[in-house]
Amino acid sequence: MRMFLHYLSTFKEYFLFGCCLTLSVLLLATNDNAQIKAIRTMTVASVAFAQDMLSFIPNYFNLQRENKVLRELNLSLSDEVNRLREARLENIRLQQMLLMKEKAEYEYTAASVIGRQFESLRQTITLNVGERQGVHEQMPIVTAAGLVGKVVATSPEYSIGQILMNRDFRTSARLQRDRIDGIAVWEGGTDLILKNVAKTLEVKEGDVIITSEYSTIFPPGIKIGIVRSTEVLPGSLFQSIVITPGVDFHRLEEVFVVRYQPDSARVALERKSGGS
Amino acid sequence: MKRITLYSLASLFFLFLQTVLGQALSIQHIVPDFLLLWIVYLALREGQAAATAAGFLLGLGIDLLSGQDGMLGAAAFSKTVAGFFAGYFYNENKMLQILGGYQLIVLIAVASALHNVVYFLILLQGSGIGWWAAIFRYGIPTTAYTAVFGLIPMFGFARKYLS
Repeated sequence: MRMFLHYLSTFKEYFLFGCCLTLSVLLLATNDNAQIKAIRTMTVASVAFAQDMLSFIPNYFNLQRENKVLRELNLSLSDEVNRLREARLENIRLQQMLLMKEKAEYEYTAASVIGRQFESLRQTITLNVGERQGVHEQMPIVTAAGLVGKVVATSPEYSIGQILMNRDFRTSARLQRDRIDGIAVWEGGTDLILKNVAKTLEVKEGDVIITSEYSTIFPPGIKIGIVRSTEVLPGSLFQSIVITPGVDFHRLEEVFVVRYQPDSARVALERKSGGS
Repeated sequence: MKRITLYSLASLFFLFLQTVLGQALSIQHIVPDFLLLWIVYLALREGQAAATAAGFLLGLGIDLLSGQDGMLGAAAFSKTVAGFFAGYFYNENKMLQILGGYQLIVLIAVASALHNVVYFLILLQGSGIGWWAAIFRYGIPTTAYTAVFGLIPMFGFARKYLS
């Protein structure tokens, strides 16, 4: 025993190093533990509170660029509003003609982005709404420009959203024009990639990518982005499609949490059969 | 005991700085790693054991705050490694000289690079993101940005060393 203590004292740095690494690995292996989730909820709430208090601090590096983008967006939105107003009136007229009921829309919870964690590949945003406002994990987050991400952690008053620019992001997506399905993923940088699209299918630059009904998290029809370019992978049956996201994540301030819950029976059945 | 309390409070401050104020300094999603600066300082000031423990605890803090499922422990692991590595440069007799010299920046850069290599190795498991792409896109810029912030304590300690 004395010998052991002597060694322990002599090599305490290595012993401590080994313990810390072992603990880290154990944590990596037991992430879904309920107690760990509870601790995470507490930390989310406390830091979100601090971020809320200090959310007035601007990022000076982004302000100038943000102003320019906002002016351009203002112009294009004004134009779009006019066109949408026309389309809406036309839609109402057509619906009345066909005696169709307007499809029920989802419920939205407005939220402000009070913090951003741009920690390289784990980019998240903190929202000032939580369980008390009916926000739960896995709910989609959107803006008028398109899909932002999904809620990954909640506390009573705050929640954390995982944005599309995140290593864990992956969703079923569809080309709006041709109804071609694929899987949208993020592989670093500012763009997304649409995978699993056969190279024989024609995809054009500017095509709109939306969420598809195959996703168990996102409701169908939400804009993800537009096609920037396509690349035929040598020796592969598929092409890689680069998507520019509709949302500018640098100037994200107001978002909506979609109070959308996928059909639980469908999710249970897909899990049972090994699907996602 | 008093020193441990002070270091604990300072660690909490750096955690706060990283999570709350880091965004205000981000350039193209690149944020300086204030926690690593603090860990390197502790390594040079208190030695390997203190830096290793601080690396683990601060990394765990960041892991908890990131709100991500599946990767709790990744930052704890990589910051533990960085703290342990930086601890090798502990020298009681040359402490102020290292803290106030270019050696501090070199050490911060190397520790940050090591941290990012380990971190991305864990984080990118099971994802389609290339390791080299992550290192070039995020690892190297983060290391450089962190090293730039390392100049602030370096100049402070240099004045102290020269006086």
